[in-house]
Amino acid sequence: MKIGLVSSAAPLINGGARFIVDWLREKLEERGHQVETVYVPNTDDPDTVLQQMAAFRMVRLEDYFERVIAFRPPAHVVRHPRKVVWFIHHIRIFYDLWDTPYRPVPDCAPQRALRAAVMRADTAALREAHSVFANSRVVADRLRRFNGVESEVLYPPVLRPELFVPGDYGDEIVCVCRMEDHKRQRLLVEAMRHARAPVRLRLCGAGTNADYVRSLRRAAAEGGVADRVAIEDRWITEEEKAAHLRNALASAYVPFDEDSYGYPTIEAAHARRPTVTVSDSGGVLEFVEDGATGLVAEPDPASVAAAFDRLHADRALARRLGANASERIGELGLDWDTVVEKLLA
Amino acid sequence: MVPFVRGGAEELCDHLVRNLRLTPGVEAEAMRLPFTWDPAEGLVDEMLIARTLELRNVDRLIPLKFPAYLARHPNKVLWLLHQYRQAYDLFDAGQSNIGPDARGNALRGMIRAADDQAFRESRRIFTLSPTGADRLRRYNGFGAEILPQPLNDPELFTGGEAEGYVLASGRVGLGKRQYLLVRAMRHAPGLRLVIAGPPDRPEDADELRRLAAAEGVEDRLTLDLRFLPRAELARLVNHATAVAYLPFDEDSVGYVTMEAFHAGKPVLSTMDAGGVLEIVRDGETGAVCESTPEALGAALSALAADPARAARLGRNARASLDARGITWPATVEKLLA
Repeated sequence: MKIGLVSSAAPLINGGARFIVDWLREKLEERGHQVETVYVPNTDDPDTVLQQMAAFRMVRLEDYFERVIAFRPPAHVVRHPRKVVWFIHHIRIFYDLWDTPYRPVPDCAPQRALRAAVMRADTAALREAHSVFANSRVVADRLRRFNGVESEVLYPPVLRPELFVPGDYGDEIVCVCRMEDHKRQRLLVEAMRHARAPVRLRLCGAGTNADYVRSLRRAAAEGGVADRVAIEDRWITEEEKAAHLRNALASAYVPFDEDSYGYPTIEAAHARRPTVTVSDSGGVLEFVEDGATGLVAEPDPASVAAAFDRLHADRALARRLGANASERIGELGLDWDTVVEKLLA
Repeated sequence: MVPFVRGGAEELCDHLVRNLRLTPGVEAEAMRLPFTWDPAEGLVDEMLIARTLELRNVDRLIPLKFPAYLARHPNKVLWLLHQYRQAYDLFDAGQSNIGPDARGNALRGMIRAADDQAFRESRRIFTLSPTGADRLRRYNGFGAEILPQPLNDPELFTGGEAEGYVLASGRVGLGKRQYLLVRAMRHAPGLRLVIAGPPDRPEDADELRRLAAAEGVEDRLTLDLRFLPRAELARLVNHATAVAYLPFDEDSVGYVTMEAFHAGKPVLSTMDAGGVLEIVRDGETGAVCESTPEALGAALSALAADPARAARLGRNARASLDARGITWPATVEKLLA
């Protein structure tokens, strides 16, 4: 089948939103399909959001593809008679973030009208789709609540699960994700000050905000834990990631109200590592269940530190939670055969 | 871009990105949007899309084609591979999907106005060849510097021992006139010729096979009519005595010429080959003759009969290619200046 994968992207910015596209392409090609990826440049600047949506809408795809799979917004507004939307998030400032401090515009009549226009356009674009999948329950819930659109949850698998080979349970907590404020690496660094056990922390990931990375280093220094906190603020390869996880004690992933469980959670599970997360991490909690597949702490440094200490003191617990996490992947149907079959149905 | 179609422009784009990334301090990414031009009225949408999209987070934009160069960016350096030629020279030549009526004129006016705006706001404009620059001056009134495409993988074309055959590489079709070489063979007794490259259409391959049989030269002619992997192509070039390349009125020097010259092989061409003659010079870096089987036969015989002379011409050819200084690092430097 000739398949077009259409998504939006800011030039030169990598992240989970591109993985899902690039990895699916690889898996579709392995199965003999002809695939072309189209990344349309965009920004989530509210002033131009409608124009950008209109531009996406105008791109002509039906002559070239038998099926189009659309990902990051506003790619879902493209026109195609066999459009499958694998929805990964809304333009959140107009949705769940509207009533939070993250809304970048005032709550005034013109902006409320803009919000309503975006919502109407989204709803219309989703209604016309051949099928709609959401990458998590959180996103599926939002589609129902805000757009009245039903979707099936389709979790994105990692590219090469076989890369993640489990080893011993050491004394390092590993956190691999973009270095951004809302990923809250800061909370992990501060937890290190409270930890009684001699655990170490490794933060890996690229970021766009150098100030944030500096603040992490400063926090480590001021907390007197710089010798136990390694910060690699760069993009790391899948192989490096697997090597870090292999002998880790656990993985930590503590974003604020994330849309999905996140690749770090699944990668840790493939490596049979438990994930330490916090009670307000959103979609992560779809996968991490306290005392079953990981530990769920309160979003404060002392509580997170207690989770670190507990795993360090009880390696058998770490091993058991890691094993459960690995089994949970199978239960969720988190594999490419399942995903490809559903997207092409 | 046209989904699932790969040609010279796509190769150039990929190699440009690869070479930009090799430059210290440079991050680069190619972004390509599907383009449709039929019906012609849809071109208005295509232009609007390019003009509307937001390109942030990049310090420099290097657009290559219509309508991508309409994208807004404060630091735009245009390497112009394609305008929409059906609105310009191909329209004049009667080869356009835009009608010669009022609607068509309005559409061409819009394309012209949008193009002019994009050219005005570009910091610099480069074209691949003098032909492209002439077209831009004639139709839009803008000057351009010439920035030819470099050879993408020079490291493969190392040269080597000549094994006594003449190679005709590159796409196979009427415009490239491989049939003239086959007909020349009867005027070059004992000459071995290898024609290697992808046929434009299946008929082009059949035609050559039929001609070879009719001319009775099949025992001296090898036809390898397919898209050759680069390493295989390079091996054929590296061990040829000479390379023959006879396109009709080509825009540019052509990859075939660059590959041969880099491998230190002289090129046989014809006086009507256009851009090829920028660097192929008779008796200096190759041979240039009339485009007749008799003249080509004589030139082929002369090259094959004196391998030492062919090798000397080949050394000159390599030196003249090096003197042009068209390499990816130099090209990237110009685009980033």
